[in-house]
Amino acid sequence: MKEKVDRSINRIDAPEKTGGYAEYIADMKFEGMLYAKTLRSEKPRAVIKSIDIPLLPEGCYVVDKNDIPGKNRVKMLLDDQPFFAEDIVNYIGEPILLVVGPDREQVAQVLSNIRVLYEEMEPVFTIVDAVKCDKASIYGEDNCFSGYEIIRGDPDRAFREAAEAIEGEYRTGLQEHIYLEPQGVIGVYENERVTVYGSMQCPYYIKTALVQGFGWDEERIRVVQTTTGGAFGGKEEYTSIIAGHAAFAAVKTGRPVRLIFDRAEDIICTTKRHPSIIKIKTALDKNRKITAMEVEITLDGGAYAGLSPVVLQRAMFAATGVYNIPNIKVKGRVFATNNVPSGAMRGFGGPQAFFAIEMHMQSLAESISRDPLDFKMENMLSKGDLTVTGGVLRYEVKLPQMIDLVEKMSGYRRKYEAFINDRGEVPKGIGLSIFYHGCAFTGSGEKEKIRARVKLKKRKDGKVLILVASVEMGQGSSTTLRKIVARAMDLPVEDVIYENPDTDIVPDSGPTVASRTVMIVGFLLKKAAERLKAGGEKAADFKVTEACEGPAELEVTEEYEEPGYIKWGHEKFEGDAYPTYSWGVNVVEVEVDPVTFVIKVNGIWGVYDIGTIIDERIIRGQMEGGIAQGLGYAAFEVMNTDCGNILQPSLADYIIPNSKEFPEMEIRLIDNPYEYGPFGAKGAGELPFIGAAPALASAVQNALKVPIKRLPVTPEYLLKVAEGEK
Amino acid sequence: MVRTYRPQSFQEALEIKKGAPVITIAGGTDLMVKRRRSTGLSPYFEVPAMFIAHLGEIKGVRFDGGNIRIGAACSFAVLLQNEATPPILKTAVSRIASPAVRNMGTIGGNICNASPAGDTLPVLYARDASVVLKSIDQERILKISEFITAPGETVLREDELLKEIVIPEKPFDVNFYRKVGTGMTNTISKITFTGIAEILNGMVKDIRITFGAVAPTVVRSRVNEERLIGHSGKEIEKMIPEISSLYSALINPIDDQRSNAFYRRSVSLRLLGHFLRALPGC
Repeated sequence: MKEKVDRSINRIDAPEKTGGYAEYIADMKFEGMLYAKTLRSEKPRAVIKSIDIPLLPEGCYVVDKNDIPGKNRVKMLLDDQPFFAEDIVNYIGEPILLVVGPDREQVAQVLSNIRVLYEEMEPVFTIVDAVKCDKASIYGEDNCFSGYEIIRGDPDRAFREAAEAIEGEYRTGLQEHIYLEPQGVIGVYENERVTVYGSMQCPYYIKTALVQGFGWDEERIRVVQTTTGGAFGGKEEYTSIIAGHAAFAAVKTGRPVRLIFDRAEDIICTTKRHPSIIKIKTALDKNRKITAMEVEITLDGGAYAGLSPVVLQRAMFAATGVYNIPNIKVKGRVFATNNVPSGAMRGFGGPQAFFAIEMHMQSLAESISRDPLDFKMENMLSKGDLTVTGGVLRYEVKLPQMIDLVEKMSGYRRKYEAFINDRGEVPKGIGLSIFYHGCAFTGSGEKEKIRARVKLKKRKDGKVLILVASVEMGQGSSTTLRKIVARAMDLPVEDVIYENPDTDIVPDSGPTVASRTVMIVGFLLKKAAERLKAGGEKAADFKVTEACEGPAELEVTEEYEEPGYIKWGHEKFEGDAYPTYSWGVNVVEVEVDPVTFVIKVNGIWGVYDIGTIIDERIIRGQMEGGIAQGLGYAAFEVMNTDCGNILQPSLADYIIPNSKEFPEMEIRLIDNPYEYGPFGAKGAGELPFIGAAPALASAVQNALKVPIKRLPVTPEYLLKVAEGEK
Repeated sequence: MVRTYRPQSFQEALEIKKGAPVITIAGGTDLMVKRRRSTGLSPYFEVPAMFIAHLGEIKGVRFDGGNIRIGAACSFAVLLQNEATPPILKTAVSRIASPAVRNMGTIGGNICNASPAGDTLPVLYARDASVVLKSIDQERILKISEFITAPGETVLREDELLKEIVIPEKPFDVNFYRKVGTGMTNTISKITFTGIAEILNGMVKDIRITFGAVAPTVVRSRVNEERLIGHSGKEIEKMIPEISSLYSALINPIDDQRSNAFYRRSVSLRLLGHFLRALPGC
């Protein structure tokens, strides 16, 4: 175990997943289990006047708002979303009630015979209309879930004194997660306690939501994660809703209740990436140096707030990208519409902001006849500079070396010059994006909201158990966390045990989100492992599962402590919005079919600084997967709505890229250890997503010589741009 | 529960067809998707289903006295492997869905499904393909353009089965096929364009042009094609605006979940222009 920590090992979950014997929620059977199916709103906005339910067959039940013992609100930030609709529905697909029964055919039959009488209200579908607010407001007085402003320096004066100001408006669309395994849970009620099993990212979010929904003591609620086939943020907050449904149904019927979506239902009613409109205005002095930037971000939050306020914050904190801007004004607002609620998704506001700023910088440079990369590099952040919120970049920013490396790998500069002057039959282009991702929770979230706790137990046979609420969802954490503990204790990886979290057993190490699992939870585990190695405390006997039952010898608990340097003022958004940052540079080369405007990707290169790598192959998987998903967002994944109806509710029409689509990606990882990450590791999961779309869009801009201001960059959009918006 | 038949011969299949209404499944790659219900529920069939894709008699591809005869139950994968399959049909078939779908899906299914976006159809129209329809009592042969009448609708009678597809054997000097969709694989067409031509002494001797997914059925106009016949590539290049407007009047694309009418119309005509400009002598 003395070899380098980054040496790849076989993923511990690989055999059961590739062999097909991993047990997912749909594989679980319980004695007497009932099946649930959801009655959903067919109207985007309406008052429910009446619900006509036919006589129920023996053994069938209806579960609705009246079966919620506690508060009919899904616990999140603003507590505005009901588990089951009360008098009003706010989007197509909003859950109204469940039909539960032993036979799925019968349940479907009952469901199709329920008649809901709606009195329709005037719906709001676009950000522009939500801002206008000339119909009855959906949320508060002005449809605005949250609005913030950040001012640093004196932007108004800088704009007054500017020699010129250059503006752009950028728009991005919906994106669906398309995790391989759709959402699913099973609720079980026995001995006055409720247990929810399911595919999830955040066992303790669900537990907290159930505590509020039931109004019960925490001891009566248990949440168990089952093997989870992908999540990408889609199982962060959404799963709490269906966990509530299955749990309320289990209590009402006294039987285990299974609620699993098929793909169409999953696409129709679960959260999506926030659509955005971002306006950027940049002030230049007479020497064409940037003196100030004003950014206005508006997001479509959908019908309920969910995590929208924090998604907005993350977008705002990335508003000026990797650039050192002396005077800044950032205004952000997220609005309610009658669309399906927007929610967490890989990048969490960052992708929208980085698309806007990277396209803006490219267009800005080109409009003043500067080379975009030179112009970007002149304005780039380095160690000691301030972030949007005035936080100090305390650690070395290795962007210059990374750009140098990606330039050598891709030949970016030579190609950019060649393509910009090329008038050949097939337009070719190359684009480069520079970006970061703030690691872990935004603001003081880690300290004040989460306060992560981890536990290690050592058995008499020498094996060590990792007890954390952080889940394996395909990203490799069950292997990575084991490697961290094994390495810290000089044990073989086989002697470290990690099982899917069960809230009866594991402490709350926080949600599996925000690129925090390795950096925050892994660091706590490393500290715990070091203490355990040094002796630890005597532990009581315990039982986890049959497989790892046994008398414990020692245990160690470790709780999050904020690094001393972090300063954050939440009222004004001042200081260190994140403990540290991961950085990336992404280059994409394309050609555009001159007849059809279909984009073909000819090359992909990426250089990333994620601190130290814990497992090289897992990280490569994350980087390549993130890029592919980001390129899908950039050019493939079209999701439109018509009067609140999603027009692409199947994988036949919502196209995600597959392995035939892209050439081999060339990825390099540079070492830049972070002192508060395990062995120097920082966050990695979201970073690669962020750079892909602006790199592709810049490449298309280079090829077609027209500014690209919208995602996704579809052939339909390019035709319109090329024909001058006829 | 769904009642199903699995006949042992084409004759037996015709007898079942004669007896009572059934839904014929020749691969089912589209039909089963259309009839699926949510997880754990059987697909919806209002009448019994009859499987025919296993019937050896209708699975071959062969040359036969100046024609190529393709059995209706011939899978896309078999078409791709068979020497008798016209190369342009192979090109079209190679862009259909994914290997799994190409192993199951059949040419007869693609034709009887009569989707405006059916990928074999524009090639079959261009090649003047006919369909052989059999019932117990009779056999009739129709041009494919007479067989398909509207999206999802054909003139197949209740007691008939599509037996085979007949394509006249004829060499073409230019064989151009383009499928436009999102992504390289597993994608439903936004537009397909087929252009084939026979060139003699620098003149167009024969030319066929078809468009898929831009009208209720495949668009082809022999009248327009005849305008081009007898001209050189250079002359045709000058005729492109005129020919484009003639086709623009024939295509009638829609806005839908995959694309929009503006793109479909513009790119159809761009593909037409691209094809005509690339004819020898241009």
